[in-house]
Amino acid sequence: MAYEHAIAGYRKLYAKLLRFYPQSYRERFGEGMEQTFNDLCREQEKAERGLFSFALWMFFETSAGVFRENVRFTTMPLTKIIRVLLVATGLLIVPLTASFFVDGWNWGVGGYAFAWVMFASAGLGFTFVSSMGNTIAYKVAVGFACATGFVLVWINAAAGIIGDGPVNLMYLGVIAVGFVGAVVARFQSSGMALALFATAVTQMLVPVIALMMWKAGWQGLLIDPNSPHPPFHPGIAPVFGLNAVFAMLWVGSAWLFLRAARKATS
Amino acid sequence: MGETFLLDIYPQRIQSQRMANNKARAPLTPAVLHILLALSVKERHGYGIMKQVQADSQGKVTMGPGTLYGSLGRMIKAGLIRESDKKRDPEMDDERRVYYKITSLGQYALAAELERYREVVAVAKRNTLSPNTHAYGI
Repeated sequence: MAYEHAIAGYRKLYAKLLRFYPQSYRERFGEGMEQTFNDLCREQEKAERGLFSFALWMFFETSAGVFRENVRFTTMPLTKIIRVLLVATGLLIVPLTASFFVDGWNWGVGGYAFAWVMFASAGLGFTFVSSMGNTIAYKVAVGFACATGFVLVWINAAAGIIGDGPVNLMYLGVIAVGFVGAVVARFQSSGMALALFATAVTQMLVPVIALMMWKAGWQGLLIDPNSPHPPFHPGIAPVFGLNAVFAMLWVGSAWLFLRAARKATS
Repeated sequence: MGETFLLDIYPQRIQSQRMANNKARAPLTPAVLHILLALSVKERHGYGIMKQVQADSQGKVTMGPGTLYGSLGRMIKAGLIRESDKKRDPEMDDERRVYYKITSLGQYALAAELERYREVVAVAKRNTLSPNTHAYGI
């Protein structure tokens, strides 16, 4: 009786472990793997052998398989990576050309390096995540989210959204929520939609927290001491308005992911 | 440009279907060889393959579900085996299971691999080498 109870427990745990396989792999082999694990458990039972070391080995062996298959499913072909990096390099021609014709446009090496990293990360992020979905809605949603994240970081790096103090670092938290949410959702449409709704909420929380800091008198966090601007520059309404635009873009992307999820289930 | 496949059922990664066809005589990994051997007699389900591999190798080769199903997936992609319909195993429980069967390409790859082994054994015999001989002067 105790043996059966232990087997049932291990089977439950094993089924949970299988969830970490890529979806298409799980759909194809998950049931067979569970059956095989069950057959092996019964074999142990018949031979009256211990279950713990057997289960430990099975979990270790299958975890290695989970890792292997996830790497296989998510590895981007080298040609795609090179293409994205070349495009990122090509895009640098725009600021380089502008520096010859626009007065006051004088980026240093750091500026070009930052721009290249931004273009490359956005491009690689889009290429990697969009390859996880088959529908146009999914790919457009990924594009939307990547573009929103790109513009958010770019504006922050260039000028800051709320004044020019360290409070703007909170926007990295917005990106982090989206990134961690996407990983936890394993890039599945419905989970991605939830992650982006959470990102939109986080986006709107940033000015609320900043406003509370201002009211609490934490000026040092809101504005640089040498800044010519007042705290909460350019004003409560514009700051909330700009954040609302970003939040709407995140929600738009989430909505597209929801559409992709509905399409996948219909 | 043709469609690109990543077929790592061979020790050397083969990048396209065309290369896979050309290299059908290339050496197979031990796991793939044993699975093909197990399926060469009759179609089997996952657990059946596992037990047959164990029996064929006198217990020297044991595969867990992670290795087995990973190999099956890659072999299906390479066209060496295919899934047949779900059915019950009369010797086991009432659960319906997916069976796997070898394809003609799989039979060809297996025959080529066994031929390679025969050639290796023939060379060893010709050189009067036995497994316990200190070969290559080591």
